[in-house]
Amino acid sequence: MNSFQEINVGDTLGPLELTVSRQQCRDYAQIMGVAGIAGRFTDDEAAKKEGLPGIILPGNMSLGLLAKLVTDWIGMGNARMTRIGTTYRQPVQPDRPITIEGFVTNTDAAERTAEIELWIENEDAERLVVGTATVTFSK
Amino acid sequence: MVDFDPAIINKTFETTEPVEVNADWIQHYCEVVGETNPLYVDEEAAKKGPFGGVIAPPSYAVTFRNGRHFFEHVPRFGRRGFDAGKDVEFVAPIRPGDKITLSSAVKEIYEKTGRSGSMVFVVIRSTLKNQKGEVVAHIDHRFMNRP
Amino acid sequence: MSTILDLHTHSEASEDSRAPVEAYLNWIKLRHAERPLDGIVLTEHRQFNRDADYRHLEDKYGQMVLRASEVETNYGHMLVFGVNEDIVRRFDFANVRLDAQTLINEVARMGGIVVPCHPGRPNIGLYEHYQSKPPLENVVAVEALNGGSRKGEDERSAELIRKFGYAATGGSDSHLVSLIGLCATRFETDIKTIDDLVRELKAGAYQPADFRQRRKPVPQAVEVETR
Repeated sequence: MNSFQEINVGDTLGPLELTVSRQQCRDYAQIMGVAGIAGRFTDDEAAKKEGLPGIILPGNMSLGLLAKLVTDWIGMGNARMTRIGTTYRQPVQPDRPITIEGFVTNTDAAERTAEIELWIENEDAERLVVGTATVTFSK
Repeated sequence: MVDFDPAIINKTFETTEPVEVNADWIQHYCEVVGETNPLYVDEEAAKKGPFGGVIAPPSYAVTFRNGRHFFEHVPRFGRRGFDAGKDVEFVAPIRPGDKITLSSAVKEIYEKTGRSGSMVFVVIRSTLKNQKGEVVAHIDHRFMNRP
Repeated sequence: MSTILDLHTHSEASEDSRAPVEAYLNWIKLRHAERPLDGIVLTEHRQFNRDADYRHLEDKYGQMVLRASEVETNYGHMLVFGVNEDIVRRFDFANVRLDAQTLINEVARMGGIVVPCHPGRPNIGLYEHYQSKPPLENVVAVEALNGGSRKGEDERSAELIRKFGYAATGGSDSHLVSLIGLCATRFETDIKTIDDLVRELKAGAYQPADFRQRRKPVPQAVEVETR
């Protein structure tokens, strides 16, 4: 990502293609301190009892992945992600390929901000998690 | 319409004890989510960056735990709510050695219907502060309940 | 003369959208070759913003911005076009259990039109409600193409249209800027105002338009313009 002046509405972020492992999922639950409480992130049988297809990523982990797309785009530039918002539409499962992408949808020259739309989609191009982020550039 | 005591809105119901941010935990977090940005993982490179040293990735802000009694104060409508999403405002970087507290209040409650049926959304706002009393983040958690 | 409008959109006034109206219009300008819209209709959830004035944006971008609402009823979600003072006095748009038949009849009487949206969607679409309740009377059109549909939903909408002979509309149901205009409705006449739109929706001379690039197969029984 270059300077604010070089950003255009329509610029793309990603796509970032990856597969989150079950161990990463369990590790994230551990970081949140819910590994022993929320079985849906660590144990298939517990997840199925909740009506889920198997273990799922914690919502916060999906937020982390979307945030990574933005911070990778910023790199070490003079800018900061100042906001992110997420909506969890469908469960994200580990061991399944996902694609994380985004677009710059708006810029504000006075505030030196860029608005970005982000999503995680599955192999059927269904958007499992959607979100938006604001990146603020230093003056 | 949803029935609740309006007096609970914007009234802080919990402030957690400070949690110290550990540099090793930041590194572990970065490994788990695949963060490789030098600002978060390389002290030497980060010193030359805009923050003068390693900081936590912004998304680290959502990993701080609520208190043990958090969900006793979150209104429920039917079965316990699912995490429907978050809105996070990142006000200041979180650095190794920071001691972070969370203060939480019910921000909003509203009802809607969707493809999975009737839902009541409870929005909790948590404000994170460091040891200097500076706000580092605001997090709006949206919990979806099925009445 | 024809007019292509995205009949189902949500701006940041809807609690689950973060899309400013101006950003929508800018995106349409950017993507006009693929999504040749003449305008959008804002259908905010459970509200009608009487005071919103988008004329300066219409002038700036050369696009129409009309206002309508998406409300929630005992037969699912419905779009209300031609909202006026009589309609907002008669119905509490924040009520998620409006009576659908009363809504359809009274809105028509008061000069508007109600179009059930995403009829193939579980719980909040007409198709499922028709499995256990009598069909609604006086429905002119339903939304055949919805940009937020999941597998099978638009197909169920097509089945409903085939069975009841409804006219068919399309809308993106966008809550994000980049999704604006992916589905729309093409009218065979010139539409410049909300009154024109209501008149044309009642007349039935339109078809859904699908501008999605990674398209799922278009449901049968619904004639759809594609690009």
